[in-house]
Amino acid sequence: MDFAWTDEQQAFRQKLKDFLAENLPDDWEKFSEHGPASPALTKFAREFCAKLAENGMLFPHWPVEMGGEGLGPWEQQILAEEMWIAGEPRGGQYMNVNWIGPTLEKYGSEEQKTRYLKPITDGATLWCQGFSEPDAGSDLASLRTRAELSDGNYVINGQKIWTSYAGLADTCFLLTRTSDDRKRGITILLVPMDTPGITVRQIPSLIGEGDIHEVFFDDVTVPESARLGEEGQAWEIIAYSLRNERLGIPRFYLARAALDRAVAMLQERNDFSGEIVRAEASRCAALCEAARTASYAIVQKRVDGLQVGSESSSARFATVMCERAVCEFVVEFVPEALAGASPYLKMHHQRGIVAGVAAGAAEIQLNIIASEVLELPREPR
Amino acid sequence: MQLSLNEDQTQILDFIDSLSKPYSTVPMHDTSLALTSEELDRELVENGFLDVMAMEELGAVTAALVVEKLARLPFAIEAAASALVRPIIDPELPRPLCLVEEGKTAGPIRFLRPGATVVVVGESGVRSFTADEGMIAAAQDDTLYAYPVAFLKDLPAELRSHDVSAEDVLRQWRTALAAEAAGQLAAALESVKTYVSERKQFGRPLATFQALRHRLAEAQVATNGVYWMALKAAGTGDAGDAAMAALLAQEAAKRVGYDYHQLMGAMGMTLEHPMHLWTYRLKLLTAELGGRGRHALAAADALWN
Ligand SMILES: Cc1cc2nc3c(=O)[nH]c(=O)nc-3n(C[C@H](O)[C@H](O)[C@H](O)COP(=O)(O)OP(=O)(O)OC[C@H]3O[C@@H](n4cnc5c(N)ncnc54)[C@H](O)[C@@H]3O)c2cc1C
Repeated sequence: MDFAWTDEQQAFRQKLKDFLAENLPDDWEKFSEHGPASPALTKFAREFCAKLAENGMLFPHWPVEMGGEGLGPWEQQILAEEMWIAGEPRGGQYMNVNWIGPTLEKYGSEEQKTRYLKPITDGATLWCQGFSEPDAGSDLASLRTRAELSDGNYVINGQKIWTSYAGLADTCFLLTRTSDDRKRGITILLVPMDTPGITVRQIPSLIGEGDIHEVFFDDVTVPESARLGEEGQAWEIIAYSLRNERLGIPRFYLARAALDRAVAMLQERNDFSGEIVRAEASRCAALCEAARTASYAIVQKRVDGLQVGSESSSARFATVMCERAVCEFVVEFVPEALAGASPYLKMHHQRGIVAGVAAGAAEIQLNIIASEVLELPREPR
Repeated sequence: MQLSLNEDQTQILDFIDSLSKPYSTVPMHDTSLALTSEELDRELVENGFLDVMAMEELGAVTAALVVEKLARLPFAIEAAASALVRPIIDPELPRPLCLVEEGKTAGPIRFLRPGATVVVVGESGVRSFTADEGMIAAAQDDTLYAYPVAFLKDLPAELRSHDVSAEDVLRQWRTALAAEAAGQLAAALESVKTYVSERKQFGRPLATFQALRHRLAEAQVATNGVYWMALKAAGTGDAGDAAMAALLAQEAAKRVGYDYHQLMGAMGMTLEHPMHLWTYRLKLLTAELGGRGRHALAAADALWN
């Protein structure tokens, strides 16, 4: 066991840091307050990701057969960490390289691969994830957006909600219902967002412009060839996708960076000598470290070629705890940070407060830990 | 970064498993609060399990793994101080090893008995002596902690100085504390898990009530965190990591000390159930080195000056 990065890993991280230093504008911190899904950042991300692609840093963790460098899970982790603490200059394109690309590669038709993979590897396209619905959040399998097959076309009717990036996305990775079977009645359609009948409405939020939306589908018609995999295969496919993206965003990394910034602000105004503030800061740091080590243990499993399962819910919950602690620390001890004094801490806060909800609620993680890690007898249905 | 066990580590943990098998359950009708075994202790020493830290290819992480593993047993074993702290003071010091803070020698001291090495750590550096009968006051019979404990009546006039800094010993001590707590937390979780899965009320196992499931799931997250932070602290030898590991260990210990007994109802108050062997060790560990606040302040010093 070795908790130090290898020389190669350190060099890789440094290369990314150098690239970011060179390619982010001077006012980047203020700029990134717009939020990763904002029009300003989305536009920036299209150019930035193209540059990353040119320099071999957009998808270096992909296998060589897919045009990547075959660098593996640690490098994917380092890449995610460096991008996320820089305010995620890739915008929504991080999803492309983390799970959409690999999923298309495994389940896509030749036509779909030809059509969609190149724009992803060029850093030129944005996807959105149409899963949640007004009545299907944590209980995703109860989704109702209908897709009826007739004359070689699917006709889609229904509504999605909380869809990040929807306002500016080119394509939607859409979950639809094609039969009444709860899980085996769900089918994935790859839907161009400019298809007639799609209406996107932005929902103003605390977490930045353009972040979350409602998306309405009224007789939206796509050819049968827009289906990914078979009818009813969606649940299996997203389980595979999530295996690539189980840990999600390395939030603990930004949380720790934000904590260090908050401490620096306190030190600057000679306000970091009290025992209460120091102890509280350490508690936050300890929670960040606990989340980091729990997450790294899972990355290691991927490195070892082992299947990653429910233990990632444990790392996810640890991450929620550290995000919560750091957000609370900032509000309690550096309240001015969220009122203009620190764009970086505001940026962190806007991302941090959603940790326990986005991509599966914290309580759902606890349910999974109870059933699958602790193997407690199931709750009655 | 390499976080899986290597072959040597897997092998050592397997050895310990088979060696400690006869000690993995509590002997029937044993009502002693502090369950100990001279025999198990001897076997561990003879097989060199408490000396792995100094061995090439093994090192401190392996020592932490050994300590964690042994702390899962119902028997109290003085392993943490010997395996993780003794090597940086003097690997030849006779066991058991009792670590005490200078100026704070009045509290209950784990494993203190005649012949034990007492290491006093503080401003005057790192000093030790061998305890004899006259220096020791036995604990009252009604001591609740599930460790053998005793009190120091006074210190000898002469203490032997060691050529190691108090900071280094404190760091290693915190790591040892976290590794030991990690094993106890894991064993206690396993034990409560079994109980609530079997015990039925309202026609169903207690474990099917979400209010309890979530508390146990949160305990799993905390336990996992202590495990990894203890190993990390052992691996990096970093003062901040060690202080954070000790802080997390004591926070988790406090939480489960309450929760696990609560979830077991009256059963957890009896001596026929082994739960107290872990929770009442964890309780004493929460007091070690001044408790959470002190580790938090030590971490702040290490992380931000
Ligand atoms: C910033 C952000 C971005 C998002 N982006 C997307 C996106 O791009 N695409 C997409 O499809 N979705 C997206 N989501 C939606 C997200 O996946 C859902 O919010 C999440 O699954 C929870 O669903 P819900 O909001 O409907 O909450 P509900 O399911 O209504 O749950 C509300 C709360 O109830 C509790 N709860 C729910 N079920 C249980 C249970 N079984 N046991 C105990 N407690 C429970 C939890 O505390 C939960 O937070 C996003 C959400 C956020 C916050």
